[in-house]
Amino acid sequence: MGEPILRVEDLTTRFFTEEGQINAVEGVSFDVEPGEVFGIVGESGSGKSVTALSLVDLVESPGRITNGSVWFREPALAARIREDDPDTAAADGEMVDLRRLDDNERRALRGTEFAMIFQDPMSSFNPSITVGTQIAEAVEVQRRATANPRAVRSRTQGFGLLKFLTTSMVPTVDYVSEESRDRAVELLDTVGIPDPASRATEYPHQFSGGMLQRAMIAQALATEPSVLVADEPTTALDVTIQAQILNTLGDLQAEYGMTTVLITHNLGVIARMCDRVGVMYAGEFVERGSLEDLFERPSHPYTEGLLGSSPALDNGDRRLQPIAGNVPSLLDEEMPDRCYFADRCPKAMSECLDKPPEFDADGSEGHRARCYLARDAYDPGDALPEGYFDES
Amino acid sequence: MQYGRFLLRRVFHSLFVIWGAATVVFLLRFITPGDPVTALAPPDAGDEVRAALERRLGLDDPIHVQYFEYITDLMVGDFGNSMEVLDRSVLDWIFWTRFLRSLELAISATILAIVIAIPLGVVSARRRHTPADYSATLFSLGGISTPNFWLGLMLILLIAVPVGFIPTGTPGPLLHEAVGDLFAGDPGTLGDWLRFMFLPALTLGTYFTALITRLTRSGMLEEIGKAYVKACRAKGLPETLTMYRHVLRNTLIPIVTILGLQLGTLIGGAIITETVFEWNGLGQLLIERINARDWTMIQGIVIIIAIGFVTINTVVDLLYAYLDPRVMEE
Amino acid sequence: MISDRVKSSLKREFYQSRAAQVGVVLIAIILFTAVFAPMLTPHDPTTQRVGTGNGSALTDLPPLSPIPGHEFVGTRDQTMVNQTTGEFVNVQQEVPANASHPLGTNERGQDILSRIIYGARVSMLVGLLGTALATLLGVPYGLVAGYFGGRLDDTLMRAADVMLAFPSLVLAIALIGVFRDTSFHTAELPDPFVAAAQGDLVPNILIPRAEHVASMPETTTFPVTVTLVVALVNWVWFARITRGEALSIRAEEYVTAARSLGASDVTILRQHILPNAITPIIVLATIQVAFIILLEASLSFLGFSGTNLTWGADIQQGRDGLSSGKWWVSTMPGLAIIAAVVGVNLLGDWLRDALDPGIQGESGGI
Ligand SMILES: Nc1ncnc2c1ncn2[C@@H]1O[C@H](COP(=O)(O)OP(=O)(O)O)[C@@H](O)[C@H]1O
Ligand code: SF4
Ligand SMILES: [Mg+2]
Repeated sequence: MGEPILRVEDLTTRFFTEEGQINAVEGVSFDVEPGEVFGIVGESGSGKSVTALSLVDLVESPGRITNGSVWFREPALAARIREDDPDTAAADGEMVDLRRLDDNERRALRGTEFAMIFQDPMSSFNPSITVGTQIAEAVEVQRRATANPRAVRSRTQGFGLLKFLTTSMVPTVDYVSEESRDRAVELLDTVGIPDPASRATEYPHQFSGGMLQRAMIAQALATEPSVLVADEPTTALDVTIQAQILNTLGDLQAEYGMTTVLITHNLGVIARMCDRVGVMYAGEFVERGSLEDLFERPSHPYTEGLLGSSPALDNGDRRLQPIAGNVPSLLDEEMPDRCYFADRCPKAMSECLDKPPEFDADGSEGHRARCYLARDAYDPGDALPEGYFDES
Repeated sequence: MQYGRFLLRRVFHSLFVIWGAATVVFLLRFITPGDPVTALAPPDAGDEVRAALERRLGLDDPIHVQYFEYITDLMVGDFGNSMEVLDRSVLDWIFWTRFLRSLELAISATILAIVIAIPLGVVSARRRHTPADYSATLFSLGGISTPNFWLGLMLILLIAVPVGFIPTGTPGPLLHEAVGDLFAGDPGTLGDWLRFMFLPALTLGTYFTALITRLTRSGMLEEIGKAYVKACRAKGLPETLTMYRHVLRNTLIPIVTILGLQLGTLIGGAIITETVFEWNGLGQLLIERINARDWTMIQGIVIIIAIGFVTINTVVDLLYAYLDPRVMEE
Repeated sequence: MISDRVKSSLKREFYQSRAAQVGVVLIAIILFTAVFAPMLTPHDPTTQRVGTGNGSALTDLPPLSPIPGHEFVGTRDQTMVNQTTGEFVNVQQEVPANASHPLGTNERGQDILSRIIYGARVSMLVGLLGTALATLLGVPYGLVAGYFGGRLDDTLMRAADVMLAFPSLVLAIALIGVFRDTSFHTAELPDPFVAAAQGDLVPNILIPRAEHVASMPETTTFPVTVTLVVALVNWVWFARITRGEALSIRAEEYVTAARSLGASDVTILRQHILPNAITPIIVLATIQVAFIILLEASLSFLGFSGTNLTWGADIQQGRDGLSSGKWWVSTMPGLAIIAAVVGVNLLGDWLRDALDPGIQGESGGI
């Protein structure tokens, strides 16, 4: 294994709502190496989006990252922090911990270090500003940040109410420069939007879903991020468009060698795009490993269930197999003190009433599963009686 | 192209509305009990005098003829003469001093309201649940619930009377006079203008300040929850830019229409404010003419106000469509 | 017509929102005051006390003022139990001079508190009746326009747009100019409590302060024109909101289904469209009550109401005294208006937050 560019350790994100505490992400750990595509797969409601938002530091109230760290490789920043404070815990080698950086530095990493593509392109663009301007904004922010990396304020240029009024009333004064607009058009061209110059002047509602998702990819590329987090980038689109978007993403990924965290609930997408995969269930990674590990040697009954009876890597578009039973509640008080999957697991044993830790599993180094079956062979004699969880 | 069509449609619509308004105003006089001739003629007038008066007022024709004449006169800008002061033209009485005085008051109040309310609403939304937010919320509740004639009297009581130098009761200079004097090297007139304008504008502007604060706050809060705000943050846009360029902008777009709809409140408020401060504008004239039962004048004032109101609303709509092109799709 | 879901959402919002509770309490107090005015007033609101007492006038008394060298003290009827016989007796109690007119008197020596209490009647009556009338005019209009759509809708809504060409107060003033010379400009509503206290149908013992009540004004002047005018000016808002709702509801599947089963238009309007459009109408009505109270106050301030026993007219009355230091005559009724309007607005916010009809700002104004 090489040096990771992103290292997530024991990430825990919770929401503190009126209904109670929601453990959306619980003790998630994984590494991503440069140029790699890391996939996260799981049923809806398993905490994938919250994981993604935690990576890019966008969890908002009532949510909070309560534990763990998110390390990014950012040698220059790491050196600078250590210069300011030699004993800092925020830097480790060439890595910096997002959670320990101060607010300004952390914000400065958005866009530069990581960018995000959201599931629903229609609602992720401001409806009343042209697509070109919105992409150009991302370029502009980056341009200003690179021009003057230490002064975070320079990116704002004191943009307050007064500036807002002048820029909206005086047509020649604008935050976004001409160069940034030109770059936005180039980017639209890169992601395969025909006639980019005129499309740049259109509003989001004049775009189709697929075209707008391309525009969002362009916006993410604008900042030339080292890590791209894509949260279900194709889920909201028609099946035929999905394939095109995936092609575009794949091509760009190959061309720029951009490290990608790809979230999906479509195993076909995983099989097609990813190098390594984490399987999420009830806020936890229940299994992680290389693509082969998961598809050829799944160690967790949940992964097996997802794959169905005949795991086939070449199957173009295979949705998750529905698994009998309910998606578990993530409300803290309703979460049992056992394997969260036990009530749906066809192989649940009495041992499983204790919560299993992560075990090393067969296959490549780094193949792990949160299941006793990764350690011991299945013994039907230990199986819990049928309907064991029904009463409770 | 598309915008041109939209513009045409809007303009036609407002012309229609103005025609309708003129018709309503015409009818008002006919359902009024009492006969203007009896009111005007001396008690001992003979039939001949009465008939002459009737002819002079144009009341001897059948109603449809009167209506036709009324509308055609209006189209060429002829509002007729006052019914009380028979040789005084309605338009002459209304324009320009009266009209300008009311317009200055309304515009000053609007500017005052916008300048205070938008920052207040933004602060209130961004510092939700802080003392600043609570004070702004309390202020806006009070502001929309306070009758402005009472507010005006309280300002006179608490500011004008003790301070002394803020005048009430006599009309001040008009803005163009003040600016003229300023260029002629005498800033004193502008000072007078400000002194005269301050309390009336504050009185009239308070309701709007409160309303805009409230709308800005709730609009911002709603807008901040939307997905595109997260996307802005994700692409590294600094918070101030996200707030002003995106959130506030989108909040203001619907507020512009609401303000257009609420413009009637401003005009109504101006009438009352004029009465309180004895501000010599259209509103005071309307009240005075109502009490004199001078129907041609009343009609003229009401139509002028309606035309102004409809015009501004149309402009607001066109502006809205320009800011948010989605509205043209409907 | 109101579903359980709506009820529970109203209840939840009410328990959570201090503002909603304040609003309910304020409105309850004002309604109570308006209804039981004759029992609550310290004095007859119309009695002028010019030159009563030792030659010096009782006019322009500041709130809570003792009256130096003045013999007059107020009297108050009090029903008490005679401790020995167990009978109820009315005794006259002397009231110290400074509490006799807690909010002072105006230049005619009328008690301001009593006038405010009676003023609540006019305000609330006009506010509620005016809104009810506007609803009755606007809702059917909007229902018909929205439900039948097409040409009819176009025509009706254009006519409604013509109404919107006039600022409410301007139209109201012009309409009052039309109606004020009619015989129905105002109406005298008999006060049932006073009638009961004066007659002997009801044993006086059942009426608190019966003797005092009997001496109160026998009728309340109700401004009919103003009520009609505020309704005529504001019905359009109801028509607009209702039309919008009807337009979207008529496209729903259950309406199509009902129509295919042969339900008549009237049935569909009554059973499907109206119940589903009711939420925004209720919220609008609440907001309108606040506007109409302000509108009534403005009209009576301008002297157009036909009665001077209203808050607006009292503010007008105290206006001349402001520059000579008599601040209370105008101030006090203004505070009453604010209390009423704040109360209604808080109720409106509560309903809006709980029911979320999405009609912000589309609600008219003065
Ligand atoms: N803003 C929020 N407030 C409260 N709970 C949230 C919020 N966002 C997500 N959650 C909770 O976090 C859990 C995981 O959600 P999410 O990450 O969106 O799932 P996925 O993306 O896998 O479908 C859900 O159970 C949801 O209830
Ligand atoms: S730990 Fe037990 S219940 Fe959980 S997945 Fe493994 S076998 Fe099933
Ligand atoms: Mg998701």
